[in-house]
Amino acid sequence: MFGARLERTRYWAAVWARRRQGDDAHAVTLKRRRIYILPTRFGIIFGATVFAMLLGSLNYGASLGFALTFLLAGLGLVTMQHCHNNLLAMTVRFAGADPVFAGEEARFRISLQNTAAAPRLDLVADCDHTHDGPVDIASGATAALHLHLSTTSRGWVRLSRFSVSTRHPGNLFRAWTWVHMDARCLVYPRPTPPGRPLPAGSDAIGTHSTVTQEEDDFVGLRDAVLGDPPRRLAWKAFARSDRLMVKQFAGGAERPCLFDWNDLPDLGDEEKLSQLSRWCLDAADARQSFGLVLPDQKIPLGNSDRHLHDCLQALALYGVSE
Amino acid sequence: MRPIARNTSGLLRLVWTAGTVVGASLPHWTSLPSWMPVLLCVCVGWRFAARGLRWPLPARWLMWLLTIAAFGLVLLQFRTINGLVPGTALLVVMVSLKFLEARSQRDHILLTVIAYFLVFASLLAGGGLIKGLYVLGFVWITTLGLLQVGRQGPLMANLPTAKLAGRLLIQSVPIMILLFLLFPRLPGPLWALPGDTSSGATGLSGSMSPGDLTNLGLSDEIAFRVEFTGQTPAASELYWRGPVLSMFDGRAWTQLAGMRRRVEDTVEYLGNESQYRVMLEPDGRGWAFALEMPETWTDGGQGRSIRMGSDYQLRVFPPGTNRGRVTYSVTSQSRFRAAEPLTEGEIELFSRLPRDSNPRTRALVEGLLDGAPTAEAIIERGLDVFRQPDFFYTLTPPPLGEHTADEFIFETREGFCEHYASAFAIMMRMAGLPTRVVTGYQGGELNSIGEYYIIRQTNAHAWTEVWTPDDGWIRVDPISAVAPERIALGSTRSNFQGQTTIASRIGRMQWLRQAALAWDTVNTLWNDWVIGYGPRLQRTLLEWLGFDRPHWRVLLLMTSAATVFTMAALAFYLGLRRHRGNGRDSAARSFEQFKRKLKRLRVDPIRLGETPSTYADRARTALPDAAESINDITAAYTAARYEPDPSGDALARLRSLVSKFSSGYAPG
Repeated sequence: MFGARLERTRYWAAVWARRRQGDDAHAVTLKRRRIYILPTRFGIIFGATVFAMLLGSLNYGASLGFALTFLLAGLGLVTMQHCHNNLLAMTVRFAGADPVFAGEEARFRISLQNTAAAPRLDLVADCDHTHDGPVDIASGATAALHLHLSTTSRGWVRLSRFSVSTRHPGNLFRAWTWVHMDARCLVYPRPTPPGRPLPAGSDAIGTHSTVTQEEDDFVGLRDAVLGDPPRRLAWKAFARSDRLMVKQFAGGAERPCLFDWNDLPDLGDEEKLSQLSRWCLDAADARQSFGLVLPDQKIPLGNSDRHLHDCLQALALYGVSE
Repeated sequence: MRPIARNTSGLLRLVWTAGTVVGASLPHWTSLPSWMPVLLCVCVGWRFAARGLRWPLPARWLMWLLTIAAFGLVLLQFRTINGLVPGTALLVVMVSLKFLEARSQRDHILLTVIAYFLVFASLLAGGGLIKGLYVLGFVWITTLGLLQVGRQGPLMANLPTAKLAGRLLIQSVPIMILLFLLFPRLPGPLWALPGDTSSGATGLSGSMSPGDLTNLGLSDEIAFRVEFTGQTPAASELYWRGPVLSMFDGRAWTQLAGMRRRVEDTVEYLGNESQYRVMLEPDGRGWAFALEMPETWTDGGQGRSIRMGSDYQLRVFPPGTNRGRVTYSVTSQSRFRAAEPLTEGEIELFSRLPRDSNPRTRALVEGLLDGAPTAEAIIERGLDVFRQPDFFYTLTPPPLGEHTADEFIFETREGFCEHYASAFAIMMRMAGLPTRVVTGYQGGELNSIGEYYIIRQTNAHAWTEVWTPDDGWIRVDPISAVAPERIALGSTRSNFQGQTTIASRIGRMQWLRQAALAWDTVNTLWNDWVIGYGPRLQRTLLEWLGFDRPHWRVLLLMTSAATVFTMAALAFYLGLRRHRGNGRDSAARSFEQFKRKLKRLRVDPIRLGETPSTYADRARTALPDAAESINDITAAYTAARYEPDPSGDALARLRSLVSKFSSGYAPG
């Protein structure tokens, strides 16, 4: 019951902070009014101890007891200031998140830049279920922290809120700031397991094809050696077997293909997207040119990494409103 | 700060915690049973062996068993866990066992906080300058330990952390001074801790044997409070009369049992009247204190009457009923004649001494009786004995043997009021004068807040009464012969303790004596101004600041406001510090200064997109004379700004070059 109440308090505090802070740009320099601070449980124990010392001093009228009590009370307050200062004027940036496939963990990069003269110590980034750190940042340096969010479905996964906090010095206080950035990570559809063969190159795309075919047909894999072109590396196979392999081609022309939404009438929408993702990946693995036809858009043939990303993004965001 | 590799962090954490725990318990070692330090050392050693040599740690059930056993042992030894020493003992034992199983960061931080408390507890028993310095040093080390064990990442290098700890403490000092001076000091304890006022503490017991006490502790426990209406008597007149000790067996003075006669009517009051209300602390002993000599008094409230015994002492009737608070009003006159007529038998009773005791004192007294002096002259001659220069007042006298007066007068010559009163009473009885010892309290402390006097156990006192046929009982206080300042101040403070003893021990060695005196002066200052800073000094300070006895709530508010102000100042200072001295920024600032100097020499300001080196090219063309300086400055700037400069050499060079760069170059 107590835990639930705490949870609720946290929730309302977060809502309140969001309302008073508003949204953040992609880089924020922390100002005083957005740094929150509360004692940790050790801070509370420390405070209770100092209070007990005060009572003891009063009771015994011990002057040196008072002196030590007040020194430690001062220490607590000074520690609070330092803890607060450990965050003050630090720049927090959302430094991007690489797209992932649904089911994988999205990895948000948070960069912390210390422009102050003193080092900043013990900085932790966390959001609801994940944290990274602690990390120390020397004067003038920048550090990166990573927050992981699990993904279940394609589209955008958002890191709507995260906090950057510190307990330095002495772990008596925890100062933190809540950051609400438009931090999002693209999630590609989860590719269907391999199985369905690539559709045969259709006549229709012949006219679009401007690529000269130099590569031969894909015949198999061999172990990679230093100097192999990175484009030939079989990443999917690597993911499955942990062995880095290179695709071998047996000559002959690459058959450009256009993957069409309408070619998969037997599947539901999500399965279609998954299957199209699979094909895109396979085609890219095979260094084939490919294009994509979706009900609302059409992506012409291509075979660059950028093209693959464009196709997967189109699949990821199909039907997703901003 | 350079972090230390993670695998040694655990060990270092242990080292820090061990250091703080042992250091915190060190001041207690002398007052604790000797098995406790041993237990602590064994636990610390075991824990390190477990870490380094992979010794097994005790299992959970064994830990519980050890805890219960240790708790029982403490209880057995002290019969209580309430009170300073038993509480400390329990804490030390628990810390020892906790250290044995310290694993998580939580354990380490808890132990560090307890270490703070332990060292605090050692201050409750009082402390001199040395102890203050020890505690200060220890607090620094403990804070360093707290920073280390409180770290979330791997531990930091020790030296910069030590500096950080020092900085934190130095920044706490203003707050400490502020609170120390302004935080309202309440005169008197909040609650009484049983066990702390047992044997050895000054206080009244209804009997006394001065030869047995060798270390008179000072209990600040309150005996009673007094509120005067109208004129307050001088401190030297504040003799609060308590039990009168008339029987002496050679070792102990005890009270005379039974009622001899009513004596209220025998007192002749001669003036100097004072009216006051007394609030007794409950102690169940039935003594009602009043200034000598009470003339009229009310009852004690709640059906308790107050009567005067045949030794002029007020008592609560029925006895044993002042467990609750007894309050009564008294009118006393400090000038009086207590002319009780004594019978022959009573004269003999009040002059009785054990046979063959104190032969040297007897010889001394016979000398005093030369020329058949009057009673007054005998008293003066007796006091003169204590006026010899090497009689000292001390709370830590050496023990006395069989002939207490002999040893005290001829050998040790150190003691507190009881030694003097007893020796003097023995001398007077030897001279044939009926004499008795009166115990009670002398002086009192004015409470600045509530406008009343507090009489504590530290005010406990013993003096004598000598009977003469003409004047009856005359009060003679031998302490006024040896430590008159004690009477004038109306309070005994611990700064009398030991100070004269050192001087007397060292005796004839002149330079050592000088050093001892200098040290003593420092100690006395410390005692007067730091240890002695209490309600009274606080009130003086506040009056000096222009506040006339503010209510404690007002004082608390003032203290809070001042603390907030100090914190704001600290925040401002820390903000300044944070932005000052950044290597790269400072280099840029120095270069700005250089550019301003060049601008004054008519070099066009740096243009958008121009690098420092192309700008320097232009400057060199404009000022051919200064070409070399310009080159040096540009090189130093590039080094300070863009290259690693951990030592700050490049920055220092840049600064000195820029400041030396003269504006006197002529444009070419």
